[in-house]
Amino acid sequence: MGGRDTREGRGLLQRSQEAREHSGSVCRTAPYLVSTSTLSVPFPTPLEAEIARGSLAPDAEPHRGAVGKELKVSGSVLAVCWRAEDSRLLRVSIVSFLEQLSLVVRTMQRFGPPVSR
Amino acid sequence: MPVVLGFEGSANKIGVGVVRDGEVLANPRRTYVTPPGTGFLPGDTARHHRAVILDLLQEALTEAGLTSQDIDCIAYTKGPGMGAPLASVAVVARTVAQLWNKPLLGVNHCIGHIEMGRLITGATSPTVLYVSGGNTQVIAYSEHRYRIFGETIDIAVGNCLDRFARVLKDVAERMLSTGECTPEDLCFSLQETVFAMLVEITERAMAHCGSQEALIVGGVGCNVRLQEMMETMCQERGAQLFATDERFCIDNGAMIAQAGWEMFQAGHRTPLSESGITQRYRTDEVEVTWRD
Repeated sequence: MGGRDTREGRGLLQRSQEAREHSGSVCRTAPYLVSTSTLSVPFPTPLEAEIARGSLAPDAEPHRGAVGKELKVSGSVLAVCWRAEDSRLLRVSIVSFLEQLSLVVRTMQRFGPPVSR
Repeated sequence: MPVVLGFEGSANKIGVGVVRDGEVLANPRRTYVTPPGTGFLPGDTARHHRAVILDLLQEALTEAGLTSQDIDCIAYTKGPGMGAPLASVAVVARTVAQLWNKPLLGVNHCIGHIEMGRLITGATSPTVLYVSGGNTQVIAYSEHRYRIFGETIDIAVGNCLDRFARVLKDVAERMLSTGECTPEDLCFSLQETVFAMLVEITERAMAHCGSQEALIVGGVGCNVRLQEMMETMCQERGAQLFATDERFCIDNGAMIAQAGWEMFQAGHRTPLSESGITQRYRTDEVEVTWRD
């Protein structure tokens, strides 16, 4: 079932009807509810925000289909944006991210600051 | 004389090692042990690793008598293994690589075992039996790949032996209650049978490759009975058996550093964008450019 992103903007009812029509043998009777969540993490410098992004971005989400996140740096802030169809998986992903983020920050505190480039 | 720092945490052991030109300068390790009768789960294991990894890193540097600037390359386990623990270790490796501005190398865990086995024992081109809680493979080197000649498809031998404890508690009750056999009988039978299978497959691989060397790596390689059975088979063929002690059979950071050292010398590098961990990573996926 593709094209989920294009379904935003249409009514929930219409989307759920389309889901039933297109799903074939997979039947999803509940309408799509996409949740989003954002987190802004300030760092002392842009370089440190970039380092955090470099450390946290490469690993894929365990439930790639159901939860996705994007990491962006602007200035000294690391911005994380989640999209998920399942609120439990969203919560799991956010908690997991916070644990990894905490580890990155502790690593920077203990083994930083970054050497000059 | 490159110095490589290696991080390993794909299962319940977390280790950080330092290797310089074939010398292990440091290899501290911690093991996450769950109560008897329970296994280790990814989330809890990752939590354990996150709690101790920075202390281990400091220990490794101190034991090696080095500073961060003495390190030439940061190696870490890219896979295979459990997702959350692998990721927890990888983020630290990526962070220090960027903080210290050093190249990063993602290493295959199985190849880490092989390269450390070769280094420590001096075996030149052995047929490798890699047997642990998470993996069971018979491997031989050919034309720039570590080829898998045999493997278990359902469960690793170490995991099988551990889980048998649960069988003893439930399913085997009938056999045990009649006094037909004791728990010791059942454990002995399982171990003898499984080990005999491993020896047989290893022997076939050796015959196929015309190999006169066998190397056992992986945690189950610590088992003295397995070493005995392999030694008997090797002697019968006029071949030589190599094995390492528990510092190196069991997962450790220095084995990742050693494989990383070989890869670094051969020019491998892992860009950050390609540094994601992966739970499935076949031993033969890596191009072994550091051997002829």
